[in-house]
Amino acid sequence: MADKESPLHHFELHPIIDIHLGGLDLSINKAIIAMWIGMAVVYGLFMVVGKNGASMIPGKLQSMLEMSLEFIKGMVKEFIGDEGMKYFNFVGTLFFFILCCNLIGLIPGSYTITSQLVVTGTFAVIIFVMTLIIGISKHGGHFFSILVPPGVPKIMIPVMVPIEIISMLARPISLSVRLFANMTAGHTVLAVLFGLGLSAPMWIGWLPLGFTVIINGLEIAIAVIQAYIFTTLTCVYIGDVIKLH
Amino acid sequence: MPQFEQVSVFSSLIFWSVISFVALLFLLKKFAFPPILEILEVREKKIRDDIEGAANIKQEAEKLKVEFDLQLKTAHEKANDIVQLAHDASKKETEKALQDTQGKVRQMIKEAEHEIQVSRNKLLSEIRGYTAALTIASTERILKKTLDEKEHTRIVDETIEEVIRELEKKA
Repeated sequence: MADKESPLHHFELHPIIDIHLGGLDLSINKAIIAMWIGMAVVYGLFMVVGKNGASMIPGKLQSMLEMSLEFIKGMVKEFIGDEGMKYFNFVGTLFFFILCCNLIGLIPGSYTITSQLVVTGTFAVIIFVMTLIIGISKHGGHFFSILVPPGVPKIMIPVMVPIEIISMLARPISLSVRLFANMTAGHTVLAVLFGLGLSAPMWIGWLPLGFTVIINGLEIAIAVIQAYIFTTLTCVYIGDVIKLH
Repeated sequence: MPQFEQVSVFSSLIFWSVISFVALLFLLKKFAFPPILEILEVREKKIRDDIEGAANIKQEAEKLKVEFDLQLKTAHEKANDIVQLAHDASKKETEKALQDTQGKVRQMIKEAEHEIQVSRNKLLSEIRGYTAALTIASTERILKKTLDEKEHTRIVDETIEEVIRELEKKA
């Protein structure tokens, strides 16, 4: 009973469809279904616009999608440069993926998969490895000059290199923890307020319940901002390894 | 925290999130992004072309305006010349007509004066004849005596001259 009343209780996952492949547990749970629903919504929105061919004079939905794509395009060009358009599809998908996962979790009874550190961590590691591959394939051995900031005296290099390595390794950690922590914190605050609202007497219970509405609005903004931050930092990291310094 | 404690779900979360992301990447790249990006490019191109077209049309319009202004100025000058010519011609015609009329009027006055003079002379001659006969008859009757021819003529002439002077005075 005590566990059920915990504000972290709703982060627990239970298999809905059991799938075991070899020694791996690939069961479908609530988080995965919520993620798929979010993805279907994103894909569906694009398909509604693209079904009959995008119109020259855009409607509201098309305008919104055009604006978001223009926004991502601008971000890619700003942080990566003209070469960045190669990564547009990846960055765009990443933005919409995180955004839909963040937003779908705000529906009561749903689940935010980005509140799982293992998921955000996986994406952060994939991005980190991808940046290393891009950097090495583009610059070869010269890529490791990224560990020596420009203008550093030679005598400082033995000190700077370990610092830069730590800084590089901290990137995926900060990237994943930031998104995970924001999503978890938001949902925990909502759960606490909702729990308070339900458990408190009626004359005072409306207050925390009212706050859940305000916090929910705030969470929508946070969901968008966190998707933006995650995507922007991805662009910055890719841009860094392309431009080096 | 369940996110750290439920290790058993990690594999499914990692697996399905990565697979789903790759699937979404494929779907968006293949079907969702291209129509929107294409229409954005088409619109951008259309707007750029329209702006360039508008700039060209504006340039042409300015050129035409300069030409029209020039033509208008020439037309104004021509019109002014035509009006001036018409005015001059009309003035000449008027002057000529006036001169002709004046000449005719002068001629008519001259003819009238001549006719008047002729009529006057004729009238005076007739009056002179009548007056002479009247005077002679009257004098003969009054004096009851016959005057000689020379005296007779002199008296008659004097009487006529007297009558004429009187007439002229009255006129």
